[in-house]
Amino acid sequence: QNLSFQLNYPHESSASFSPNMAEHHTVSECKHKANPNAGGSLSGNGLSGGLTQPAGWQSLLSFTILFLAWLAGFSSRLFAVIRFESIIHEFDPWFNYRSTHHLSTNGFYEFLNWFDERAWYPLGRIVGGTVYPGLMVTAGLIHYLLNLLHVTVHIRDVCVFLAPVFSGLTAISTFLLTRELWNQSAGLLAACFIAIVPGYISRSVAGSFDNEGIAIFALQFTYYLWVKSVKTGSVFWTIGCCLSYFYMVSAWGGYVFIINLIPLHVFVLLLMQRYSRRLYIAYSTFYIVGLVLSMQIPFVGFQPIRTSEHMAAAGVFALLQAYAFLQYLKDRLTKQEFQTLFFLGVSLAAGVVFLTVIYLTYTELGCLYLYSVYAKIHIPIIASVSEHQPTTWVSFFFDLHILVCTFPAGLWFCIKNVNDERVFVALYAISAVYFAGVMVRLMLTLTPVVCMLSAIAFSSVFEHYLGDDTKRENPPAEDSSDEDDKRNSGNLYDKAGKVRKHVSEQDKPEEGLGPNIKSIVTMLMLMLLMMFAVHCTWVTSNAYSSPSVVLASYNHDGSRNILDDFREAYYWLRQNTDEHARVMSWWDYGYQIAGMANRTTLVDNNTWNNSHIALVGKAMSSNESAAYEIMKSLDVDYVLIIFGGVIGYSGDDINKFLWMVRIAEGEHPKDIRESDYFTPQGEFRVDKAGSPTLLNCLMYKMSYYRFGEMQLDFRTPPGFDRTRNAEIGNKDIRLKHLEEAFTSEHWLVRIYRVKKQENRQPLEHKLRSVLAKQKYTSKKKGKKLNKKSV
Amino acid sequence: MNRGTGFRLPSCLLRLAWLLCAVRADGLVNEEVRRTLDLSTHLAKVSAEVLVANHGASAVQSFTLALESDLAPHLAYIGASVKGDEEEDNSLALKETSIQGRSGTFFQVQLPSALAVGEKLRVKVETVFTHVLHPFPSHITQAEKQLVVFQGNHYLYSPYPTRSQTTRVRLASKTVESYTKLGNPSKNDEVIEYGPFKDVPAFSQDAMKIHYENNSPFLTISSITRTIEVSHWGNIAVEETIDLRHTGAVLKGPFSRYDYQRQADSGISSVKSFKTILPASAQDVYYRDEIGNISTSHLQVLEDSVEVEVRPRFPLFGGWKTHYIIGYNLPSYEYLYTLGDQYALKMRLVDHVYDDQVIDQLTVKLILPEGARNVHLETPYPIVRGPDQLHYTYLDTFGRPVLVATKKNLVEHHIQDMVVHYTFNKILMMQEPLLVVGAFYILFFTVIVYVRLDFSITKDPAAEVRMKVASITEQVLTLVNKRLGLYRHMDDAVNRYKQSRDSGTLNSARKTLEAEHRALTNDITALQARLKAEGSDLAEKVGEVQKLDGQVKDLVCQSCQESERLVAGKVKKETYITSEKTLAGKRQELIARIDGLLDAL
Repeated sequence: QNLSFQLNYPHESSASFSPNMAEHHTVSECKHKANPNAGGSLSGNGLSGGLTQPAGWQSLLSFTILFLAWLAGFSSRLFAVIRFESIIHEFDPWFNYRSTHHLSTNGFYEFLNWFDERAWYPLGRIVGGTVYPGLMVTAGLIHYLLNLLHVTVHIRDVCVFLAPVFSGLTAISTFLLTRELWNQSAGLLAACFIAIVPGYISRSVAGSFDNEGIAIFALQFTYYLWVKSVKTGSVFWTIGCCLSYFYMVSAWGGYVFIINLIPLHVFVLLLMQRYSRRLYIAYSTFYIVGLVLSMQIPFVGFQPIRTSEHMAAAGVFALLQAYAFLQYLKDRLTKQEFQTLFFLGVSLAAGVVFLTVIYLTYTELGCLYLYSVYAKIHIPIIASVSEHQPTTWVSFFFDLHILVCTFPAGLWFCIKNVNDERVFVALYAISAVYFAGVMVRLMLTLTPVVCMLSAIAFSSVFEHYLGDDTKRENPPAEDSSDEDDKRNSGNLYDKAGKVRKHVSEQDKPEEGLGPNIKSIVTMLMLMLLMMFAVHCTWVTSNAYSSPSVVLASYNHDGSRNILDDFREAYYWLRQNTDEHARVMSWWDYGYQIAGMANRTTLVDNNTWNNSHIALVGKAMSSNESAAYEIMKSLDVDYVLIIFGGVIGYSGDDINKFLWMVRIAEGEHPKDIRESDYFTPQGEFRVDKAGSPTLLNCLMYKMSYYRFGEMQLDFRTPPGFDRTRNAEIGNKDIRLKHLEEAFTSEHWLVRIYRVKKQENRQPLEHKLRSVLAKQKYTSKKKGKKLNKKSV
Repeated sequence: MNRGTGFRLPSCLLRLAWLLCAVRADGLVNEEVRRTLDLSTHLAKVSAEVLVANHGASAVQSFTLALESDLAPHLAYIGASVKGDEEEDNSLALKETSIQGRSGTFFQVQLPSALAVGEKLRVKVETVFTHVLHPFPSHITQAEKQLVVFQGNHYLYSPYPTRSQTTRVRLASKTVESYTKLGNPSKNDEVIEYGPFKDVPAFSQDAMKIHYENNSPFLTISSITRTIEVSHWGNIAVEETIDLRHTGAVLKGPFSRYDYQRQADSGISSVKSFKTILPASAQDVYYRDEIGNISTSHLQVLEDSVEVEVRPRFPLFGGWKTHYIIGYNLPSYEYLYTLGDQYALKMRLVDHVYDDQVIDQLTVKLILPEGARNVHLETPYPIVRGPDQLHYTYLDTFGRPVLVATKKNLVEHHIQDMVVHYTFNKILMMQEPLLVVGAFYILFFTVIVYVRLDFSITKDPAAEVRMKVASITEQVLTLVNKRLGLYRHMDDAVNRYKQSRDSGTLNSARKTLEAEHRALTNDITALQARLKAEGSDLAEKVGEVQKLDGQVKDLVCQSCQESERLVAGKVKKETYITSEKTLAGKRQELIARIDGLLDAL
C-alpha cells in the first residue's frame, strides 16, 4: 500500500492528488496475493489489473522480481553440480538420500516401519521412528508425482535439486512475511536477499540434501501464516499456520524455535497490553491444533507435553486462557466482585503451580538431572562436531556481509513504528541473534530475519532518497487493536495503511535534501548491494560448493585433478566384500559407508549410543591384540580409516584421533587415558618423540602401515607425513590380526580385513545341552521379535 | 553370414537317420589339416584349415564339423568359410546336428556347390571357446604371476579320417610350466608346434594339456544390458549397464597399494583400464555407477571412432568385480532409415566393450517410439526374444514398445548389425508438442479463471457493501477533485480577464464553469444518494462536502464579480486586493475542511 510513489507518474501531469490511484493499487495488490481468501473477498468490484493500469504493471513487476529471485537463488546453488556432478554431499545427506531411496522403492509405510539392520551393528536402528521424515517424504512425493507424469527423473536428482528449489519457495515466503510486516517493496528486497545470502546457501546448495534445506521454508511460511492469523484473527489462517507448523515439525528439530517464539510473542503482547480477541483466537487454535499435529510425527511423539522445551507454549496457553477469562469477567462483574475473584483465582493458580512443581520434581526434574549427567558424558561427542562451536564475528560477516550491519537499522524502524507483528519480528531477531552466537549452525535461523530487517532498512532508505519526495508516504503505522474493534476482516488492513496526501502538504518541503545528496546516498546504497551480490557469489563458489566426497586439486597451469578416493574405496567395499560384511570406522563415515558402500556399520553420524561409539574409539586407540578382542566381540570384518598423510588432507583420522581417545576414556577410564597419548611435554606428535602408546595403537598402525617405506619427495625422508609435517616415528609396523584389504589411489582411505582365527580354541568345558526350542522357525518371526525387543 | 551356437536341436533330431547314412556314405577325407590354437588371451581361439577331399562314390552337398564334448559347452562362436583362390572368404551356412553313438556337438556345413567325386576343397573353420583356460593355482598373491591350464585335443576332432595334420599352439608368454609331449613337439618362444601326425582315424582324441603363464586380462562381462532408445526427433540414446568380473586367479591375502604403485610387476594380471570403442558419432558420453560419475576415465575422439579409456574406480584383481553404466547419444540419421511410414533401424546388436571381450549374458532392450507398430526384428544370429514390454518416459501417454532379447556367451565375433522394421504414423510426432501446448493452455486458463471468478466459500455482504462504498467514494473523490480543478480554471480565467479586460471570455468561462459545476454536483448528489442507499454514514459527509462546496462556489463567483467591478473601476485596487485576500483565505479554509472530510472518507 505504500508503493504509490512508483505508480503516480502516469498521472503526474494532473498535479492534483490522486487517491483513486491508491485505491486501485491497494485492491489489485490484494488480488495478486497468492491466497484464495484475499482473491475471493475482493472479486467482483470490477477492477481489472490489466497492463493499461499501473497496478497491472506492479503485479507483473513483483512477479518478475520474485521469479528472478528464485532463478538467481536456484542457479547460484548449482556451482557444485557444474564443477563436479549431480551428487549427494557430505555425511548426513547420504543418510537422507538412503532413506529417501528406501521410501521411494518400498513405499511410505514400509519406510515408517523400517528397521535398519545395517546401522549400529548389532543393535540396529528403527529409522522410521528416529528421523524427521518431512525431507524424505517431500522428496519421495515429488519423485512419485514426476514419475506419475512419466517424467523419469532419478530419485538422486530429485534429492540433489530439492534444496535449491525450496530456496525459491523460501524467497517467496520471506516476501510474504516481509510484506505483512512492512510493505511490498521491502518484501521484494527481502526475497532477493534471502535468495543469495551465503548464510542460507551454506545449507542449501545442490546436493546438500538435508533437513535445513526445506525447514527454512517451513519456518518462514509458518511465521508468515502466524503473522497473518494474528492480524486477521481468522481460524482459516491459523489452521494454515498449524499445517505449516506440522510440516516444519516433520522436517526439522528446529521446530522448537517456533514453538517457543510464538508463545513468547503472545506473552510479550500481553505484557504490552496488546491483548485482543484476534490474538486469543490465533494462539488458542494454534496451540491446540499444532500440538495435536506435532504429536503425529513418530520421532516427536509425546515430547510436546513432556519435555521442558515445550512447556513455555503450554504455560502461555494457560495464561492466555486465564487472561481472556478475566477480561470476560471484567465486563460482567463489579469491581469488588472482580477483585475477590481475582485473588481467589491467583491463589488457585499458585496452588496448581505448587503441585505441578512438586510433581515435576519427581518426574521432570529427575529427567533433567539425568539429562545433565548424560550430557556430561556426551560432551566430548558434541564438542567434537565443528558446527557446534560458537560463532566468530568473522563468520557473521562472512555469511551475511552487509546485512549484518544494516539489520539493526531495520529493527529500529520496526520498533519505532511498532505494532503486533513488528513485535514478533523484533523478538525473532533478538532470539535468533542469541542462538546464532551460541552455535555456528544456528546461523541459519538468523539469516532470514536479518534479510527481512535489512530489506526494511534498505527499503526505507530508498523511499527517502530514491523516490520523488513529494510522493513519499509515512510508513503504515496502523494500530491493529483499534482496528479490531471495528471489523474483523483481512481487507481492512490494506485500507488502513492508505494515507492520503493533501494538496496542502505538497507545498511543504520534506527535508532539505538536494538532488546531489540524494543521488550520492542512492549510489552508495546501490554500491553496497552490488558488493553484497559479489560477495555472496564469491562465498558460495569458494566456500560452500564442495561436495567433500570428491576432492579437487588444481595444478599450476590451472588444470584440475579430481581425487575420488572416497568413492573408490566405498565402491570397492560395495562390490568386493560380502553383502553382510561389517565395517568398523569412526562414526563420521558411517552414513557414507551405508549410503555408498551399502555395508553394515557399527556407528554412524546419528550418535545416539555413546557407549557404542566409545567402544569403537577404544578399539581404535588400543594396541592391536586388545583391539582384536573388541573387534571379535563386535564381529568386525573390515576396518576403514581415513589417512591424509600422502596428499596432505587435514581432516583425517589421526587428526581426529584425540576425540576418539577422549570419548573412549569417558566410558572406559581404566583402559584408555588421554594423557598416555601425549608426550611428557604434553604434545601430540606422531614422530619418534611421540608417546609409545600412540605409536603402537591400532589407529596409528593402520594409518602408517607400510607408509615408512614410502618416499613421497626427494627432499623428505621416507615416511614423511605431509599433513602433520613429520617423519613418522614407527616405520616398522607389522600387523598380526589384520591385513591390508584395500588402499585407495592416494591412500586417503585404507581398509583392513580382520583375519579370522586360525583354529578354534579347544573348549574347556562340555557343551551345554540346549533344549530344542521350536519357537522361532521362520526368519520373519525372528525378525519381528528382534524389532520388538530393541 | 555365420551361424552361432544359439541354435538348438529339435529340428535336427528329425534328420538323424538321414545324417547317419550321409556321414557313413559320403566318404570324405581330411587330406591336410593345419590347426592353430591361439591361447594368448583369455579365450581359446581354435582355427583349422582343412583340405576336404571327396573319396566317396557320389558328389556331396555338405560335410560335418565336430567338437569335443568337453569343449563344446564353452563354444561361443563357430564359423566356416571356403578359402577361395582370391583373398575373400565365402562363409558357409552351419546347422547344428548330431551323430548317434558319438559324443560331442556336430555342425552340418552346407557347401556352396556340390563337391564332386575326387575333388578337393579348402575350408577354414574358426571356433572361439570361452572359460576354457583355468587358472592354476586358482588363488595367487599380489606378487605372483598367473598360470593357466588348457586342456584340449592334439588332433582335429572330425568324423572323417585325416591324412596329415599339424597343430600349432600360440601362448601368451615364454614361460611354460608343462605341456604334453605327443610326437615330440618343438617349442619356440611362445609357440609350440605338434605334428605332423599322419593318418589319424576319425573321432580320435588325445588329451593335450598346457600349463603356462598368462597375464592377459581375464575380464568377463557377467552381464550386460544394452538399452537403445530411438527418438524420431533425431536422437538415439544407447546405454549399457555392465557387470564386470576378473575371472583369472583369485587374489589371495592382502592388496598392498604400496607394492602396486612402486613395483612394475606387482599385480601383473590385474586390470587397470581398458578401451571401449564407440561409434564415431557418439556424443555426450557418460560413464558412471550407482554412486556417481567415475572420474577416472578419458575420452578420445578419433576420426572413425570415439575411444573411451574406461578405468574402473579400482584396479580389478582376480575375483574382484565392478559394475558401471556407459551411455551416449547417436544422431538418428545414421541409423534410421525411412520410407513413408516404414522405418528401419540398423544398429549393432552388441558393441565393443574391450578387445577379446567375453559376454556371459546379454540383454538387449530396444525402445521404439510411442506408436510404433508391426515391429519385426532381424538378427544376424539366433537370439532369444522375451515378451515385449512398455516403457514410459517424458510425455508418454500409452507407452513405448520395448523389444527384449537375450543371448548367452558372446564374443567379439558377435558384433554385428541387426535390423528392426516398424511402421510409425508421422502424425503421432505432433502428439508431444500438442501435449505441452495443451498443458500450458490449461495452466493459463486456470489462472485466468481463478483470477476472474469468485471462489470464496462464504459471501460476506458487509465486505461487498464496503467494496461498493469504496468504489463510490472513489468516484466522489474524483469528481470533487475535478470540481476543485474547475475553480482553479476559473481563477485563471479571472486573472486573464484582469489583464485583457475582455468580459466576453470571462462570461463564457463563467458559463462553462456553471454548466460543468452543475453537472458535477449532480453527479455527486447521485452518488450521495447511492451511498445513502447502501446505508453508509459517508453519505452525510458527502453532503457536508457538497454544502462546503456550494460556499466555495459562491466565493469563486464573488471573486469573479469583484474582479468585474475592479475592471469596471467600481472599486479601488486596494479594496479589491483586501477583499480578494479575505475571499482567498475563506476559500483556503473551506478547501482544507473539504480535504479533511475527504480524508475521513
